[in-house]
Amino acid sequence: MSDQHHIRSLVKEAEIYRGQGLFVASREKYLHILQFIENNKRLCNDKKLVNTVKNKIVNLENDVAGLHQETAVPELSQDVQGLIKKLFSFSEDQGAAAMEGAVALAKFGQYEAALAEFQRLLEEGTFPLMAAKNILRCHLALSSPNVAIDQFGQWVSGNLLSKEYLKHTRAFLANVLEKRGIKTELPEVAQTSSVADQKDEQEDVLDISSVRVQLENGPDKGSVVEFDVSFQSGNIISVIVSARQKDLADTFSLGIRLPDIQFYSPIAIFRGSGIVSGKTKIKSGPKRGDYMLDIKIEGA
Amino acid sequence: MAIFNAKNRVIECKIVYYGPGRGGKTTNLEYIFKAFRKQTTGEMVSIDTKGDRTLFFDFLPMGIGKIRGCDVSIQLYTVPGQVKYGSTRKMVLKGVDGIVFVADSLEVRRTDNLFSLKDLQQNLAEQNMSIFEVPLVLQYNKRDLAEEGIPLIPVETMDGGLNKKLKVPSYPASALKGTGVGATLKECLKLTLRNLQQELKWAR
Ligand SMILES: Nc1nc2c(ncn2[C@@H]2O[C@H](COP(=O)(O)OP(=O)(O)OP(=O)(O)O)[C@@H](O)[C@H]2O)c(=O)[nH]1
Ligand SMILES: [Mg+2]
Repeated sequence: MSDQHHIRSLVKEAEIYRGQGLFVASREKYLHILQFIENNKRLCNDKKLVNTVKNKIVNLENDVAGLHQETAVPELSQDVQGLIKKLFSFSEDQGAAAMEGAVALAKFGQYEAALAEFQRLLEEGTFPLMAAKNILRCHLALSSPNVAIDQFGQWVSGNLLSKEYLKHTRAFLANVLEKRGIKTELPEVAQTSSVADQKDEQEDVLDISSVRVQLENGPDKGSVVEFDVSFQSGNIISVIVSARQKDLADTFSLGIRLPDIQFYSPIAIFRGSGIVSGKTKIKSGPKRGDYMLDIKIEGA
Repeated sequence: MAIFNAKNRVIECKIVYYGPGRGGKTTNLEYIFKAFRKQTTGEMVSIDTKGDRTLFFDFLPMGIGKIRGCDVSIQLYTVPGQVKYGSTRKMVLKGVDGIVFVADSLEVRRTDNLFSLKDLQQNLAEQNMSIFEVPLVLQYNKRDLAEEGIPLIPVETMDGGLNKKLKVPSYPASALKGTGVGATLKECLKLTLRNLQQELKWAR
């Protein structure tokens, strides 16, 4: 094959890669071509050829860089937004399905539309806590955090959210703001409210109401036990094991891994695993003698 | 997670086209939309970036008539293949019933194929599904480029590399020209429906 011919076939290959959007492969090919030319006594003095190839490489480098840039999320048409709501809601329960649809809109960056949905759900009283948190998330994604803070203030003086939910929402917002390095005084919910224990709450964990755990050892190995979640802070849930079930409590030793847990949340059931990260015997109150287990959710 | 409505005797199932970015998933759906017009039941919806790369997903609804007394409707999706869209891939994969893995036959894409298959396995595992159990078909796409003298991975090598443990049906194809596209989809539907039939036990 003549040198010309060889180069022509390499260029053809490089151009096919470029046409398919395979910029890295195309750049590699042109670098190869450049090397071939520079090592060729007859061609290496062809300034025009060398420059053409070098230009190609520069352009491809820009294309490669472009791939790594954040893509602006487009505002989708109402039809497509409607389709997303429909396609990404799986629950049979109407409220849960509506919540899933709204969460999908937010995940696909359609914050305005999602916001309207969450507002509607909150006003209807459908999963109000989840709706409220998501409203704040949308505000934070859309604009300055001030809108989220104002929104929270309105809830404090209104009656859409119960005291309990307001406390959760406040802790959630305080945590997000803190993570962003924003110092601000959020309106207090009630004199007694203590938000300190919820500091660790992570944004992405759903609110879990109960769990089913498959026992991996102990006398009841293989069987499944169910617990109500009495407290949740981010990805740590706490459940109570009655003093009467001492065998069961012993099965859950500190640090043990629970590879198969089903988590029930108001909008979804999901499976995952966890680790017993805390175990304390309750010393006072009506649950005295019972065990409080902390389970850290791992993969869910 | 097929939806089975026993009363209306309607079954709705979800097929997802998975694979490395630029491998030809969207091109598959575009060809299906053109060539199987009679079976499509709505427009193809594509949400992509300026450069045609899929940003969220492509969606194409189809109806394939009655099977064992049930009306079967199919939803075809593609995921965005670019590595950075991992969370969107997970979302689109949710509730999948059958998968077409579109591998790129170009020699330069060898590792991209492997990474994407691994990514599929992980994402399935996260929703408690096994890549070894889910109805799955492999497609070795862009075979037409052999005519252009572009280095391709031989079909046997692709089978040996990607399909060694999976042992699922595989098809050489050119999504651009349409070769193998129908065969891939039909096989995937066959496996998926057989699987659903066992799971849901619908019968006449
Ligand atoms: N020659 C040839 N080109 C193809 C074939 N299939 C796809 N292409 C080209 O490959 C490029 C990428 O195809 P797409 O269908 O957009 O790939 P994709 O898998 O959807 O890519 P992402 O959306 O980024 O994941 C386009 O330029 C297509 O024209 C084929 O069978 N032969
Ligand atoms: Mg695509």
